[in-house]
Amino acid sequence: MVNNVAKKNTLRKSLLVIPLAFAMSCAFNVANAEKLPELKINKAKAELGKRLFFDKRLSGDAAISCATCHDPEKGYGTDKALSPGYPGNGHFRNSQGLINTAHKKVWLHDGRLGTSLNDVTREMITEDYIMNMDMRIMQERVKQDPKYVEMFKAAGYGEPSNGSVRKAIPEYLKTLTSKNSPYDAGKMSDSAKAGEKVFKDKGCVSCHSGALFSDGKAHNTGVPENFDVFLDPMNHQAFIAFAMFQGIENYMNLKRDPGAYVQWKKADKSNMGTFMTPSLRELTQTAPYMHNGMIKTLEEVVDFYNKGGGEDSHKDAAMKPLNLKDQEKKDLVAFLKSLSGDKLTGADYVWSEKYSGEYPVIADWNNKPN
Amino acid sequence: MSNTTRKILPSLITASFVACVGAATTVVQAEGASPAPLAPLDSIKMPIPPDNKQSDAKTELGKLLFFDPRLGGDASVSCSSCHDPEQGWAWAEDFSRGYPGTTHWRNSQSIINSQYMERQFWAGAAASGERQAPAAAKGGVAGNGENDIMEARLALIPDYVKRFKDVFGDEWPLIGNAWRAIAAYERTLIQTDTPLDKYLKGDKKALNEEQLRGKAIYEGKGGCIECHSGALTTNQEYVNIGVPPSKRWQKDGLAQITFRFEQYAKGQTEKGYRKAKSDWGLYYRTKNDWDKGKFRVPSLRYNTYTAPYMHNGVFFTLEEVVDFYNKGGIDEEGNTTLFPDNKDKRIKPLGLTDDEKSDLLAFLEAFSGEEMVTPKPKLPEYAPLFTKAELEAVKK
Ligand code: HEC
Ligand code: HEC
Ligand code: HEC
Ligand code: HEC
Repeated sequence: MVNNVAKKNTLRKSLLVIPLAFAMSCAFNVANAEKLPELKINKAKAELGKRLFFDKRLSGDAAISCATCHDPEKGYGTDKALSPGYPGNGHFRNSQGLINTAHKKVWLHDGRLGTSLNDVTREMITEDYIMNMDMRIMQERVKQDPKYVEMFKAAGYGEPSNGSVRKAIPEYLKTLTSKNSPYDAGKMSDSAKAGEKVFKDKGCVSCHSGALFSDGKAHNTGVPENFDVFLDPMNHQAFIAFAMFQGIENYMNLKRDPGAYVQWKKADKSNMGTFMTPSLRELTQTAPYMHNGMIKTLEEVVDFYNKGGGEDSHKDAAMKPLNLKDQEKKDLVAFLKSLSGDKLTGADYVWSEKYSGEYPVIADWNNKPN
Repeated sequence: MSNTTRKILPSLITASFVACVGAATTVVQAEGASPAPLAPLDSIKMPIPPDNKQSDAKTELGKLLFFDPRLGGDASVSCSSCHDPEQGWAWAEDFSRGYPGTTHWRNSQSIINSQYMERQFWAGAAASGERQAPAAAKGGVAGNGENDIMEARLALIPDYVKRFKDVFGDEWPLIGNAWRAIAAYERTLIQTDTPLDKYLKGDKKALNEEQLRGKAIYEGKGGCIECHSGALTTNQEYVNIGVPPSKRWQKDGLAQITFRFEQYAKGQTEKGYRKAKSDWGLYYRTKNDWDKGKFRVPSLRYNTYTAPYMHNGVFFTLEEVVDFYNKGGIDEEGNTTLFPDNKDKRIKPLGLTDDEKSDLLAFLEAFSGEEMVTPKPKLPEYAPLFTKAELEAVKK
């Protein structure tokens, strides 16, 4: 992966967060620490996106917001194995932490969206088991709130529309990037440094590569199924609806998460149960782990790899027992932890002003064009 | 509820399907032709589509589904939420309640007798009960459900799996068959024993003096029979009678949101979306300017229990309705339709005296029998589809 040097425009007013961490890390310069490229952010658009992200009125019954499943206190994920769903159903996967999601090229555990965060945002808002929102109603709700009318204008979008909602939220997501991790700051402990070596020597890096520690590809590591997906009808109904929509044959009988199989339905099904290599940044904020939250701690993750992963006839060839010594395991965990930085919870990231409980009336309605 | 509630009698239901005496409710009236006389409801036949025959097992299933909120987005709203048996199988506010977080923009229609109608909804947007039900369950301000999750839910309710198999032969419940079962159930929700029906079938004591005078006004000076004719008390034409726009548009933010949404949902042009300030009714279907503000002539049966009245519920009592007609389609503050050019010529000041008005009102009461209430059925529960052992046995 290209090691991007911080771009020159660091001081442009449009930047919401001045990447101090990057500037500082140059001084200590860790030999081959991979930096995330800096993102250009339009402040007014990001601010609007922030308000939208925390606004429950973006869901069909106005009961949940993006932040319900992407909680700032939990690295913009949740601490449950399986994400909550839209009221009336559950979910069948772990809610992904969103820090650094703007650096990705492919999204979701199965990588089924590879176009843009705009499309991911649309999926989240409209999918019936996530936010179940008719975007035409969403647009009219937004238009009814004078604060939004003002903010859309300030952001250069003109009149609120569902198209610009789907642009503003990704702009906000760009502000959610790693901050002050010991790794980026060049402040890794000796144990973490030793762990970095284990990480490279034992082949973790073959999949977890680059500044995001992800090759952006799908692999089968043999993570066991989370049976709660199938034993709890609330979760199972979301799973069935998903599998049905994805056109998977015999979806009523399916007893495993198909993973990236939904992208290319290989005739021999050899890509069943492959999942996108996740980023390893901010892991201390996002336990439990894996697409279905089946592994609770980083220590257990390391044990999982030490055993050569789980059981699956199509498991990736790179997954084999590692014979790690106890110290190596500890160092590896220390390294993984050094990839996590600050929580992104202050006012820079979280919309804390209240939303008005009722929609204000548009006065003189008869004489105003809609 | 009170002791006036009573179960819907199955005997009434089956009786109604028997004979068709041939009242011509579906014949479009020629200009100037005299309207079909009032007739007993059981003189006409419930239209039953050849591919959705009635059966007890089907209507039982349809009843469960009608009351089941899992046929909706967040599993909190069922058909019966807005068509509450205790509110005349409708909703007792001007606009129907909406999906949580929304309001509806039209008055909820009663289910009672609705399946006799050629087309469903205030402006006839759906061609049958089978097509109406999905529109209701999926519409953003009604059920806001999606086929895939609703079908998934049905598959996880063993009792439904069994019933869909018995009734339709489905391996797994198909959502289209849920709508068929609901429509079949709705076809049982009829009332054929009103005082009016009894009178028309020969029980001359079924109407009192006052009501008989009212009947004469209805068929004469009042001209109601021009539109509210035949066994169904409607010729099912689309007419603009001058109903003014709802005032809720002026003072309720939530209602303003739904209003604009509906312009999109009903396929308005950009220009129409900008300038619409009332419900354009039949126009949304035909896109003819002359259809603005036209609505299907509603049945007047069961009206005692279905206040408020009109497509937008602007009138809370039948007194107000009669005053409105008496003034020639103008409300007491002088408001009328925003499309006066489209207003029907038959709607003109009637010059009814107070006595005549109260006679007419007394007669309108004869269009409703006893209140029809049914206990909410006990709904079947979800159960896991697989056992742990089955999951453990999966070979990967
Ligand atoms: C009901 C819970 C829920 C809500 C609400 C929700 N999400 Fe998600 N989100 C998830 C889950 C679960 C996943 C992983 C889904 C998968 O792999 O299929 C996810 C994945 C994502 C991803 C992909 C992350 C990655 O790195 O690949 C993004 C981006 C995202 N959500 C943004 C949003 C936004 C923006 C909103 C609000 C508009 C939102 N989400 C609302 C549960 C939710
Ligand atoms: C063959 C490619 C591959 C190799 C080699 C590999 N990983 Fe992974 N890793 C993955 C994939 C794919 C996932 C996601 C699996 C899932 O969600 O079911 C994952 C998940 C993880 C997670 C959980 C992240 C999260 O947010 O849930 C951690 C931590 C992790 N790997 C660490 C390591 C370490 C440490 C090593 C070396 C010992 C390693 N990985 C080797 C592909 C790999
Ligand atoms: C959120 C409230 C709401 C829900 C839920 C709802 N309805 Fe309705 N229903 C209405 C309103 C309001 C109308 C009139 C709408 C119109 O004309 O546009 C209506 C109209 C109808 C009509 C037309 C009657 C006639 O005379 O033409 C039928 C039949 C009906 N609904 C059945 C159902 C069924 C079946 C369901 C469940 C699948 C359902 N409704 C769910 C509010 C609701
Ligand atoms: C020219 C046709 C026409 C005539 C004549 C007519 N009506 Fe109507 N009536 C309608 C239409 C159309 C509606 C529905 C209008 C709307 O919702 O905008 C209606 C609605 C009603 C309603 C409300 C029903 C409900 O469920 O909300 C009542 C009650 C009523 N009429 C009674 C009468 C009476 C009494 C007369 C005679 C004084 C009369 N109508 C004459 C066409 C007519």
